[in-house]
Amino acid sequence: MELENSVTLARPGEAPDSTLRQRQALDALYSASYEELRRIASAVRRSDPGATASATTLVNEAWMKLARSPDFICESAIHFKRIAARAMRQLLVEAARRKHAEKRGGDYLFITFDESVGQQMERASELLALDAALEQLAALNARQAMVVECRFFAGMEVAEIVQELQISEATVLRDWRAARAWLGAQIRKQENERLR
Amino acid sequence: MNKAEWEQVQSIFHDALERPREEREAFLEQSACGQKDVLEQVRAMLDEEERGNSLIEEDLSGLAGKLIDAGAGSTFTSRQFGPYRTIRFLGEGGMGVVYLAEREDVGSQVAIKVLRDAWLSPARRDRFLSEQRMLAQLNYSSIAHLYDANVLPDGTPWFAMEYVEGIPLTNYCEEHRCTLTRRVQLFRMVCDAVQYAHQQAVIHRDLKSSNILVKDDGSIRLLDFGIGKQLDTFDMSARQTVTALRMMTPAYASPEQIRGEPASVQMDVYSLGVLLFELLTLELPFELKNLTPNEALTVLVEHDAPKPSSVVARKHDLGESSWMRASKQRWAELDVLCLTAMHKDPARRYRSVEALIRDVDHFLREEPLDVRGDSFVYRTSTFVRRNRRGVILAAAVTLFAAVLIGFSTYRITKARDAALAEAARTERLQTFLMNLFEGGDAQTGPSDQLRVVSLVDKGIQEANALSATPKVQAELYQTLGSIEEKLGKLDKAEDLLQSALRLRTHIFGSESEEAAETLEALSHLRLDQARYDDAEKLARQAIDIDTRQLPPAHPARARAISLLGMVLEDRGKYDEAIQALQQAVNLQSGPGGVESDLSSSLTELANSHFYAGHLEISNELNQRVLAIDHEVYGNSHPQVADDLINLGAVQFEWSHYKQAEDYDRQALAIEQHFYGNDNPETASAMTILSRTLLAEDKTSEALPMLRQALVIEEHVYGKVHPRVATTLNDLGHAALRVGDLKEAEEDFQRMADICRTVYHGKHYYIGIALANLSSVYMREKRYEKAEHALKEALRMYAVTLPPNHQNVGIAKVRLGRVLLRQKHYAQARVQSSAGLSILQTQANPMAEWLENARADLKSENAALGTNQGTAAQLSTLAHTENTAGSNN
Repeated sequence: MELENSVTLARPGEAPDSTLRQRQALDALYSASYEELRRIASAVRRSDPGATASATTLVNEAWMKLARSPDFICESAIHFKRIAARAMRQLLVEAARRKHAEKRGGDYLFITFDESVGQQMERASELLALDAALEQLAALNARQAMVVECRFFAGMEVAEIVQELQISEATVLRDWRAARAWLGAQIRKQENERLR
Repeated sequence: MNKAEWEQVQSIFHDALERPREEREAFLEQSACGQKDVLEQVRAMLDEEERGNSLIEEDLSGLAGKLIDAGAGSTFTSRQFGPYRTIRFLGEGGMGVVYLAEREDVGSQVAIKVLRDAWLSPARRDRFLSEQRMLAQLNYSSIAHLYDANVLPDGTPWFAMEYVEGIPLTNYCEEHRCTLTRRVQLFRMVCDAVQYAHQQAVIHRDLKSSNILVKDDGSIRLLDFGIGKQLDTFDMSARQTVTALRMMTPAYASPEQIRGEPASVQMDVYSLGVLLFELLTLELPFELKNLTPNEALTVLVEHDAPKPSSVVARKHDLGESSWMRASKQRWAELDVLCLTAMHKDPARRYRSVEALIRDVDHFLREEPLDVRGDSFVYRTSTFVRRNRRGVILAAAVTLFAAVLIGFSTYRITKARDAALAEAARTERLQTFLMNLFEGGDAQTGPSDQLRVVSLVDKGIQEANALSATPKVQAELYQTLGSIEEKLGKLDKAEDLLQSALRLRTHIFGSESEEAAETLEALSHLRLDQARYDDAEKLARQAIDIDTRQLPPAHPARARAISLLGMVLEDRGKYDEAIQALQQAVNLQSGPGGVESDLSSSLTELANSHFYAGHLEISNELNQRVLAIDHEVYGNSHPQVADDLINLGAVQFEWSHYKQAEDYDRQALAIEQHFYGNDNPETASAMTILSRTLLAEDKTSEALPMLRQALVIEEHVYGKVHPRVATTLNDLGHAALRVGDLKEAEEDFQRMADICRTVYHGKHYYIGIALANLSSVYMREKRYEKAEHALKEALRMYAVTLPPNHQNVGIAKVRLGRVLLRQKHYAQARVQSSAGLSILQTQANPMAEWLENARADLKSENAALGTNQGTAAQLSTLAHTENTAGSNN
């Protein structure tokens, strides 16, 4: 089993202040998501056939571990997953930024990257493009950006998104389809400009 | 693009998808109404929909695999960390990466640990810095040292620590084919390191064999305090103690750690238990492979581990690990040790690593384990087994063991059981009782006794603090009271036992078995205080309660009856004493009787017969006791020495001094062997042998022996103690015998002073001291002083002894002689005659004093000449004198 070194939670709060608690819970969540991502990433790279876990299992496991913690207060698994989706997104974006910076000769985080190959860089810039496009989309329709986050970054089922966002299933499917197409187009446009 | 445009784009996009592909372009042109921008967006989206290979179609894990770095192991670039330059990659954990590095100026090697992705969250940074702080604080040979710590320009923290070249503990054991003992020794070293950390308020929380390296020189190093926990008293809000970082290796995690309960030293105790299990069996206690995480957790929290011995037995069958053979008994002890350490219930686990270490040491020294200490039977049998094998405990046993082996053993065991059960959390108390039971460390003899005295004082403070658990408090007061009594601190004993009685009466009622037990203890104390009326009253009260509350043959009732017998014996009511003791013996010989109780009742019965002059019976009974004790304790136990001394006493009375000397010497040899030369028990056996030697006129051997005994007792008990007084008495007699009057006077004088102090001026011992002092004055012909001393002695006897007690008779005969020497013939004749009539009523009157009385009376009558009265008149006078004396 793979529990070892897999969950990190925030240090429990010194103050009862709810903002602080929230921040700490978020911190815990980020750390947990990070550890999960790391685990998945290394399993994928080892080409471990059993390890090609989907985002769904990834977030589910993080949820299971965090849910046992008395320090993590969360009304429901679905709500958690929505937050997790945001965390995953930010983590990946941060990683991509760093990879980008490294390629440009930035001196920081030399420990992190050691096998920079083309495809990785490509994915890194694509992810950054996705992130930027998602920001634009949020400005146009916040709900749709959320649907994407939930589905792409947390692997949530349609039914879960229906419940979490309080919209109909048809809306979710429509939102997803439109958003996916638009975001894909935006990324492609970005990439074409970059490579030109 | 604005929101309205986006709504339009979506609407056209969805509608277009509804149509066949060839109609779409026309539909778009029509719908967009010349909005070029909108048209372009929808076209791109439809393209994308067709293609379907964008990033967003990809699985997140694939993306993660590409974006999140795998680790620093695959390639390595040398880097500079302060004065260190990395040489190679060593490994990585959840938090960071570890490199081997060299300090460029000195050339020394260190391990550098770097926090990976420090930017990620404050939580990880805090944890990393906390490990660094803990390492800085822990300065212990078997914990890897911290050398240096700093932060890189980008904010990434790192630290340099001792580079340990070694192999993981379990690998080491396998490679070196370590014996069982060696494994346990290595385990103890690990325990030491963990205990040290605990003393610094640091809990490791991730103990496992791969975190413990054995170096070439056989020393160990404890690594990775990565998820250690600093128990900071100023920072101890309930939430903060919660083990939030559930990151440890599950196989080594205690159930409460898995449940996320507050960090405690007992979590480490559990992990140590698992480690021991692994060392003994080369396996982990639970097979977790092929289980889902949740199944695994269920197993860890709910299933009991198998016995290590059974796992090993299976391996033996397979022909493995033959170098780890040990007896069944040894394995049984390891089972207990290991499974107690990893008990699911923390309350039944070792309370601390210290307690665990104690039992590891017991195991290594082949002594009984503490964890089974709650079963008296186990302790006794191990104890006896050891002694039968001739393994002598000189190093581990102190005087205190003697106290415990005797009458208090039962009580202390009981007290400890109750204490453990009811106050499991009161660790200080437990430690105290454990220490009490163990008696101490490596040194034997007098110095330890002093330590025990202060230990008992400490125990009283502990007991006073236990007001929240009055039952335990009462139990402890009772135990400590009995111990203080044994130690000769009668006043303290009184206070403690009274407190115990108050509490128990309050909790259980005055009619309870518990109250009766305390009454017994008080009765016993009254004996020591020579308050016989009270002693008898208390013993009878206890019996009455026990008779009402318990079945007739209950051991507690039998013990109370036996105690009454002892009281009656000390009062000189030998017939009644014999009756009571015989009853106790009958009860204790029956089913359910306690062997050691029987042995003690038989001893008292033998003593009563001895004092009643039934020397044959006494001799037979003593032989019987000796046979029982041989059976129970083996041949070289102090209990056996006591029996030999009693047998010697009978021989002494028969004037078979040679035989008496034989018995006494055997007894002394046992005590010396068991306790060593400088022990008060040995001293006591010396004084007894000395008395026999004096009777044989072997003064040259007796005197130095008595002096040695005195030195030991003074050192152990202090200068003012009943035992010191008794030895001074013997020494005084010996000095008198060799004509050293100066020393004799000093000895008896000191004896009198001690007894006055200890017994608050009221005990017949004071009378004995004064009477013996008078013998010295007689020899010096200081008759007035002698007369004064004897009169004082008689006044003391009058309030402490029955009027016809032999001692009273002797004192009167002596007084008669003193008066005779001063030519006060009439007064002398009254005393001599009164003394003689008392001595004549004794079962075994001392011939010497009978003769003295008769001779003096003759002289007195001769001197008084015509005034010589008739025998009848004399008898009346003597009677009046004796009655008057008793009314004093």
